[in-house]
Amino acid sequence: MIQILTGIQNTAAALDAEHTRLDVISQNIANAHTTHDVDGKPYQRRVVVFETALQNAMGSDGSGANLPAIQVAKIERDTRPPLQVYDPGNPEADGRGMVSMPNINIHEEMADLISASRTFEANLAVVKNARSMAMQTLAIGKS
Amino acid sequence: MIEALFNQPNYLAAKKTLDAVALRQEAINNNLANLETPGYKRMDLAPNFESELEKATASSDPQQISSLSPSLAVDTTATSSSKDGNTVHLEQELMKMNQNAMTHALETQMVSGMLTKMRLAITGK
Amino acid sequence: MSPITSIPAFSPGLLPQINRLAGSADMAATPSVLPAATPTDSSSFSSLLGKLVTEVNAQQQTAGQAVTALQSGANIPLHQAVISMQEASISFQLMVEVRNRLLESYQEIMRMQM
Repeated sequence: MIQILTGIQNTAAALDAEHTRLDVISQNIANAHTTHDVDGKPYQRRVVVFETALQNAMGSDGSGANLPAIQVAKIERDTRPPLQVYDPGNPEADGRGMVSMPNINIHEEMADLISASRTFEANLAVVKNARSMAMQTLAIGKS
Repeated sequence: MIEALFNQPNYLAAKKTLDAVALRQEAINNNLANLETPGYKRMDLAPNFESELEKATASSDPQQISSLSPSLAVDTTATSSSKDGNTVHLEQELMKMNQNAMTHALETQMVSGMLTKMRLAITGK
Repeated sequence: MSPITSIPAFSPGLLPQINRLAGSADMAATPSVLPAATPTDSSSFSSLLGKLVTEVNAQQQTAGQAVTALQSGANIPLHQAVISMQEASISFQLMVEVRNRLLESYQEIMRMQM
């Protein structure tokens, strides 16, 4: 099919990747207090791992270098140990009154959330810009 | 006859600049797509293109101008602000994108104006 | 009007018309018909026309190729396709104007002979 908006293939990949990251972060925040995950243990923070794949740049004479695109390699679990919180009144408390809470730091998640949103919005701006440049190009020669 | 019509140095230079602007936009798009990629080095137009274009325009030689070929290269002057070696700074990249968009608008208008003038000269309307 | 359809189709009637005009320009330049007004010899004029037609045709081909490449999804910059379409359209208009002027001057010459 026609590729009118050239040069934004990697942008689509980045938007996808950041969207996945935002999903994972919101899942982490939602499960910040889940002491029983499906496997019975406290919820483990999920982390998105990105990898780069090379795409060909444009340039009819091959002047473009290979430009890397980002994609989600896998979503793995953060293996840091669960947080131990002193809460003797909790039914989950062990002999010493400690409860194992998910290894999620809300501040860390919020910082990640902001950075992922920033990247997402920057890439949206790229698409908008590419569209307006293409519209200008199509108007060449029209008086 | 057609050759002479389209071989004017100003017109060729405007077209070449448009080529370079489009290529630069692709580099900027890619830099923003890799904003979070660890170790990514930002890319831009190869720095020699501008000086070559100036030289070719000064010489007013159509052959020289149309033989220019803009290309992308890793920006060696970019510094990293994060631990993972990523050299893309969001604000600077957005500024560059805006400037490039304006250059694109300017060059597009110039090329369009030249084409319209040619048409006017030929048909009288 | 979509830019894809704005390439004027190469009118089939135009080429033979121009060739005929070029041929009659040859005849008109022989001394027995007209006092020679200009010193340029006839063969260079008709060959000039022939060259014009070939160049315009070549440019139409380039523009057509650019549009095909764009439609088939090849990674060429949009502005190159748009600019070659405009250039093809302009050179085609040039050819049409040349043909119109030739036609006018031919008709004027024919009127003069009466």
